[in-house]
Amino acid sequence: MAINAHLINISKKIGVLSDPKNLTAKAKGHCQKIAATIKSFTLLGKFGLTVVTFFVLLAVFAPLITVHPYDLPSGPPLMAPGEGHLLGTDDLGIDIWAQLCRGAKISIIVGLGTALLAGLGGGLIGIISGYVGGILDKIIMRLIDIMLVIPDFPVMILLAAFLGPSLTNIIIVLALFSWVSSARIARSQILMLKEKTYIKSAVLYGAGTWYLMRKHFLPEIFPLIAVQMIRLTGRAIISEAGLSFLGLGDPTSKSWGLTIHYATSFKGIYYTDFWKWWLFYPWLFLMLMVVSLAFISRDLERIADPRLRKK
Amino acid sequence: MQHKSRMRIIEYAITIWVIITLNFLLPRLIPGDPFLVLSSQEAEDEEIILSEEQRQYLFEYYGLDQPIHKQYFVYMGELLRGNLGFSLYYKQPVSEIIISRLPWTVFMVISAVVLSTLIGTIIGCISAWHREKWVDKSLFLFMIFFSEIPSFLIGLILLFVFAAGLGLFPLAGAVTHFADFQSGWSRIWDVIHHAILPVTALTISHLGGTYLLGRNSMTTVLEKDYLRTAWAKGLSQSRIIFRHALKNALLPIVTRVFISLGSLVGGAILVENVFSYPGLGTLMRQSVRVHDYPVIQGIFLVVTILVLLANFLADLVYKKLDPRVSS
Amino acid sequence: MSADKPLLDIRELSVTYTSSNPAVTAVSNLSLQIRKGESLGIIGESGCGKSTLALSIMRLLKDVRTEGEILFSGVNLMDLTEQQLRKYRWEKIAIVFQNSLEVLNPVLTIAEQLEEPIWAHEKLTAKESNQRIIKVLNMVGLDPSWKNAYPHQLSGGMRQRVLLAMALVCEPELLIVDEPTTALDAASKNEIYHLLRDLQKRIGFAMILISHDVAFISRLTSQVMTMYCGQVVEYGRTSDVLKNPMHCYTRGLLNASAQFFRYKDLWGIGGKPPEEMRIYEGCPFAPRCCQSSDNCRKSRPELRYVALERQVACHKGGIETFLKAEGIKKSFQVKNRVIQAVKRADIEIRSGEVVALVGESGSGKSTLAHTLVGILSPDEGSVYFRGKKVENHWASRMMEGMQIIFQDPFSATSPRMKVLDVVKEPLDIMKWGSPEERNEAACRALEAVRLPVNPEFLERYCYSLSGGQRQRVAIARALVTNPKLVIADEITSMLDPSNQANILRELKGLQNRFGFAMLYITHELHLARKVADKVYVMHEGEIVEKGDASEVFEKPKHLYTRQLFSEAFYEESKG
Repeated sequence: MAINAHLINISKKIGVLSDPKNLTAKAKGHCQKIAATIKSFTLLGKFGLTVVTFFVLLAVFAPLITVHPYDLPSGPPLMAPGEGHLLGTDDLGIDIWAQLCRGAKISIIVGLGTALLAGLGGGLIGIISGYVGGILDKIIMRLIDIMLVIPDFPVMILLAAFLGPSLTNIIIVLALFSWVSSARIARSQILMLKEKTYIKSAVLYGAGTWYLMRKHFLPEIFPLIAVQMIRLTGRAIISEAGLSFLGLGDPTSKSWGLTIHYATSFKGIYYTDFWKWWLFYPWLFLMLMVVSLAFISRDLERIADPRLRKK
Repeated sequence: MQHKSRMRIIEYAITIWVIITLNFLLPRLIPGDPFLVLSSQEAEDEEIILSEEQRQYLFEYYGLDQPIHKQYFVYMGELLRGNLGFSLYYKQPVSEIIISRLPWTVFMVISAVVLSTLIGTIIGCISAWHREKWVDKSLFLFMIFFSEIPSFLIGLILLFVFAAGLGLFPLAGAVTHFADFQSGWSRIWDVIHHAILPVTALTISHLGGTYLLGRNSMTTVLEKDYLRTAWAKGLSQSRIIFRHALKNALLPIVTRVFISLGSLVGGAILVENVFSYPGLGTLMRQSVRVHDYPVIQGIFLVVTILVLLANFLADLVYKKLDPRVSS
Repeated sequence: MSADKPLLDIRELSVTYTSSNPAVTAVSNLSLQIRKGESLGIIGESGCGKSTLALSIMRLLKDVRTEGEILFSGVNLMDLTEQQLRKYRWEKIAIVFQNSLEVLNPVLTIAEQLEEPIWAHEKLTAKESNQRIIKVLNMVGLDPSWKNAYPHQLSGGMRQRVLLAMALVCEPELLIVDEPTTALDAASKNEIYHLLRDLQKRIGFAMILISHDVAFISRLTSQVMTMYCGQVVEYGRTSDVLKNPMHCYTRGLLNASAQFFRYKDLWGIGGKPPEEMRIYEGCPFAPRCCQSSDNCRKSRPELRYVALERQVACHKGGIETFLKAEGIKKSFQVKNRVIQAVKRADIEIRSGEVVALVGESGSGKSTLAHTLVGILSPDEGSVYFRGKKVENHWASRMMEGMQIIFQDPFSATSPRMKVLDVVKEPLDIMKWGSPEERNEAACRALEAVRLPVNPEFLERYCYSLSGGQRQRVAIARALVTNPKLVIADEITSMLDPSNQANILRELKGLQNRFGFAMLYITHELHLARKVADKVYVMHEGEIVEKGDASEVFEKPKHLYTRQLFSEAFYEESKG
């Protein structure tokens, strides 16, 4: 009987989920929420959102909006921006615009990959640490303390040097050194929530771990982790650019950092005007992307954190 | 409280041990032959492919043919004697190379920390004093913009505009080589002249953080009850600002100075490479390029321990400044 | 003559916070005077503007617009520059701030913070200032060895002493003490009281004591001022004001102070102070006042003298006297005997007051009550309701008048009438409003006494109700006219204890909510003690003792009262 009732319950739930009306209503609600969030952005946040959207579009539609290939010469070397080559060419005659569009994609892959890996992984570690507590929590806390004092960039260089330059390796290395912040946030939230009376009373009513996670912990923690993930995206893009700039990036990736690396490695770059397009545009793109992400996360932090909201 | 500070020391010791162990394990944990995998990249550069002789040396250096616990004890023993290994590329003990390069990095990082802290705190306090007025608002906007740009990007643009474009500063290095200096002063000026751009780049990228902290910290202090008490006592404004407000506002800033060294080191490595500044950062890049693993590991170890030391100092200084912690 | 000239003379001070939107007026049109060596207490709820006043005397507020004059020994502090003000701060006027963890600078030692004002205001050598510090620390009873400690090392009570020492270090002429007893236990509170009293005696500073602890104020000050919404609503000698408050707000504050009443239940003032202290057109207290009428909301009352040394800001001139009876005499002729049921009784009931009329059965209580309301007419004497002589039942025939609830619930309501009809009967009789309005009013009254208002219950006949329910119906009937005075004649005596407790609590709750005055007649002294503000003791037709409930119950004067109480409270006195 009980199983039967359970089945009916489940089928009801599926019915609710698959009901198109319900879905659109839900989506509508989410859209409104997002619109309201964007409305409460500051001017800088809106600027950031525009720029990031632009780069995302660039990355997605790269094959459609570039005429030339990003990895093969398509014109004379070191051509200044002009006809045919919007932003000029590099020393091998590869179109810079095509490279940068490709670079946008790489940046977004690296950024999102790292953020997802580190944000969700770190969040999970934090939740487990805070929820389970005890000796496990102590060990994780020690680990976090150690991670916090180790200067991350030298370690990344070391790891990248040993692991070898590939996009996946870079994402893994970056994630290895970015999960700490999400873990700390998730853990402190769990610890804070565990003290709340409504959690305690839910436990008294017989709520299990899964119920608490779904109903109380995750809805509280997820927004904070999501905001942190945007911050991580920005930081990952910077770190990837830094590693690439040092020559530790994936040589096949054509990321913005790598373009800068090739430009600065070019012998005559200081004494010619080539830097005005070869170096400047990847520099500009990188800077805009990083600053924009930071602005977005700054605004989201303000909205997500009620303590900051007042200020 | 004695107990607590002892706990801190133990924590630091554990951290250092973990780092050393990590440093030991890393080349051994990488699947396959770490010295082969990398050998095919960057065909343009010379001396990239490790010769059989070099690989042999690396194997012996890491003692990969011996049981791992034995390797570990040998490694620790050597480390305690200050032996960081021998560089294949420079044909010199790693410790010697690092010691010759370290002063430049330290010089650059410390200059940037001091400058950014001083300027950031002052501007932050000015902002807090004029909170919500136009001075504060425009400073705030300006500062959060710059605080988000990574230092090597700032360095790049400084290099190309002021050094390559306008020719106001040297393009690379820390001193003019083979120059014949007339006096000690002109030598010092030469060093400063070379350091201005890299230090500026680091300072600017670090300034935003200290500014925000200074502003926040000062704003909080200005709203405290004890400041109202001070005003009520009829003290002079300068006394209130410097003795009552600043002394409290400085507490978080001081800690941050030391803590931020870790992130500054990362920036410094990149900025050094932008300006070909002869510190540990350029050494690290060069070593990466030629797969000089003992040097990379040595630098990592030295830098990490220095950063840990800075953190430790932060604890000590904070204790000195805040009576609430020390007792 | 320095004695005549006030040390501090504040004239029409208004302080408006301009940083918030809309601007908030925290102090409006406030005047006060303090002479040398005098002490003034300021009471009021949190946020009434007490602290703003303290800070504005020292001119410590930023982002405010201040109007009026603050004269300190003749000098208007409002005209001074920041530079000149520094000479007054701490040297002439010092303040003991409300104790908090951060009221002292955490990174400076006690000595450093004590010597600062000395150096800022006086030219003393290091040795002299050190001696001074030791002196003031001794003065406040703190061991001078503490001077090298940091604030966080002190306990709350010690920090309060340091604050006091710091305020006295420059020997000010005026000391402002802001909430000195917050978060202190009873023992420390008592110590601070003794300190303040002795120090004032020895040093002779004038003192402004701000506190919501009325008991503390009563022990330390000679004058007291009640503030509400930034306005002074009552001002007078402390002993007089606290004994006989003349403003409804002051009385409310006193009723909320547990120290004053050992037996009575605590009742806070209903409603809330206005959230934003905008300038109201009318009296700011009107929404919470039990005697407010339309013109209270139209204009703001000024502070006026209502008695010697007593000022009240109220359109009604303070707490209104609703019922006044003078020289009531009533006798009955039973066969050939004349029984003097009431012999010359005087009684006075003020708005919002619960007056208990106690005495044995047959002492004439009910006769007096019936005479007051006009069921019986007195042989001699007269009854006045709101200043007008009661004749022809005019006072009970109207809305917002006087109503009585009788002892016997079964005879008070007709068993053959329906509940709804019983309750709205007075309205039907008065022809008040439309039938629908009457029904609504009746339902509201029934809800107020917690009876159901479903059609089924409204259609029930009274005979089918229990005693408790019928008494509630009777109360609802009295309340439906929204009376200003309710005379409750032994209303609970025929009920079982549980019903009795319920009805009494509810009636008192309703009284607190609607603010009517109540004459509560009972022979149950325990019950009277729970609810009464004033007590009249009746014996053989005479009022033998009357007075404040706390005083009469604590220290009965009349022989009969003592006897009555000792019988009633026998159990207690034994234990």
